[in-house]
Amino acid sequence: MASIVLKDLRKAFQVKRKAAGLGGSLASLGRPRYETVEAVRGISLEMESGELLAFIGPNGAGKSTTIKMLTGILHPTSGEAQVLGFVPWKQRRELAYHIGSVFGQKPQLWYHLPPIDTFDLFAHIYELDRKTYERRRDFLVEAFDIRDLLEVPVRKLSLGQRMRCEIAASLLHHPRIVFLDEPTIGLDVVAKQQLRDTIKQLHAEEQTTIFLTSHDAGDIESLCERVVVINHGQVIFDDAVKVLKRRYLRRKVIEVRFAEPTNGHLDLAGVSVIKLGRYGAKLELDTSSRPIETVIQDLMAGHSIVDINVMDPPMEEIIRAIYQRDSAFEPVAEGA
Amino acid sequence: MLEEIRFVGHLIRLNLASNMEYRASFLSQIVGMIINNGIYFVFWLLFFDRFQEVRGYQIGEIYMLFAVLTLAYGLAFTFAGNAGEVAGLIAQGRLDYYLALPRPVLPHLVFSRMGQSTIGDLTFGIIAFLFTGKLDLVSIVLFVTVTLLAALIFVTFAVTVGALAFFLGNASQLTDRLLQTLLTFGLYPFGLFQGVVRLILLTLIPAAFIGAVPVQVVQLHDGGALALLAGVAALSVIVMVGVFRLGLRRYESGSAININI
Repeated sequence: MASIVLKDLRKAFQVKRKAAGLGGSLASLGRPRYETVEAVRGISLEMESGELLAFIGPNGAGKSTTIKMLTGILHPTSGEAQVLGFVPWKQRRELAYHIGSVFGQKPQLWYHLPPIDTFDLFAHIYELDRKTYERRRDFLVEAFDIRDLLEVPVRKLSLGQRMRCEIAASLLHHPRIVFLDEPTIGLDVVAKQQLRDTIKQLHAEEQTTIFLTSHDAGDIESLCERVVVINHGQVIFDDAVKVLKRRYLRRKVIEVRFAEPTNGHLDLAGVSVIKLGRYGAKLELDTSSRPIETVIQDLMAGHSIVDINVMDPPMEEIIRAIYQRDSAFEPVAEGA
Repeated sequence: MLEEIRFVGHLIRLNLASNMEYRASFLSQIVGMIINNGIYFVFWLLFFDRFQEVRGYQIGEIYMLFAVLTLAYGLAFTFAGNAGEVAGLIAQGRLDYYLALPRPVLPHLVFSRMGQSTIGDLTFGIIAFLFTGKLDLVSIVLFVTVTLLAALIFVTFAVTVGALAFFLGNASQLTDRLLQTLLTFGLYPFGLFQGVVRLILLTLIPAAFIGAVPVQVVQLHDGGALALLAGVAALSVIVMVGVFRLGLRRYESGSAININI
């Protein structure tokens, strides 16, 4: 059964334009100039119950605007949407009882109070009875490993700790769909992975439908089955994550630091050396020709390593590849 | 309705707890505001030391005017601390939090912040009432009623002007200016104003209904004036809800980072 159905959804904003400096401001005061910017340009998609979908794209692609229309925060300019059978902007309050949302840059937790106070407030907002609330809270506290954080003022928490509490708060009322808008933004590698693992585990246990936006390709690789890529407000890719990976996430960049100086040569089969210094190197690998584990094993066998970092291509590069299908990202036939 | 009142009660308790996190700031702001109001009040005491009456107001009416107005202002902006911030919240796209939750946006928004310095106004208003000498039961009941109605008018006025940000883009300064105008005109004996100014103070900037009319109700036990005040308060709620709902359709959100204090 479809949880979310979008048909030709569009949103345009009027944006004021003015020339630089005081002269521009004076001219704008007398005769303001507005331009219509189409943030979302005819998005259509369906999402099944229990699906974990990644909705990705670079900054300004229209991800947050779409989520805001799906949660009833924004009215669309045109088009249709149904979320759990509700039209979000017309039945916002009814829908809100069944969905949870986390906006990475718009915290819900009260800043000067400990998370437990916001949890209590949310129990009130969602009209949860005391017993149901406490049982659910205790379960989430264990799942997100936040017992020690519950009574610490939010302002004293690290970003990763705070985000774990934010997501736990959004799940208190057992929502059928959770919208996660950039939940890993600003987190370090460890905190990101911890958060991804918890989301994955909860999704497996509760079959909650998860609509995740991110511009971190790692989030999609670790979490999702299906990915929708949007750019300039339009869907440019909608398929399984494994297809995206096979086509566009094959390239990995490995940064490595050595404990001892190299002899100026680094010879690894299937790996291109982008940069080589005395104590470090930047390498590029096509994972379809060689698994990354074997490269790391070879590196560790031949050198004493201090630090190693494996990176995905940035989102902008993936988008470019989708558009251009450049040689580095040449699509591979299904089943290859 | 009862559930909404309980919810607002929960928000107020949470706000109190949040404000008390910084005890020194909390107390100093309250004391500062009491002193501020006191200085203004002394001006009137000195004035009435030289003159017996100004446009029908004697010192008793001034005590009552200060009592109603400062207590109403204190109640409004202590408990509905976001009422004066609506324009900024709209312009910065900070309504998202309230819109994503299953509660009526306006009460949730307005009661989600508590003023600190306004607790000083609130305290001052109570002290001023003790000086009025109108401490019989009927007067006390009337005083409480008109003060609550005046507080409601303060809130609806601030929210309505703030909601113009949906249409104008930013109305923060307009809200500040108009609230200041409302307060200033409310603090003078109404008999001083004639003609067009009087008309404005009875309509667009309802200063008469936060000062002169409530004073008349308590001083003269005037039932007609009380009914008029209640009617204006009800009308102001309808206007506020109408403007806010109309504006909400034009809400554009934003990418500003925000926190709940």
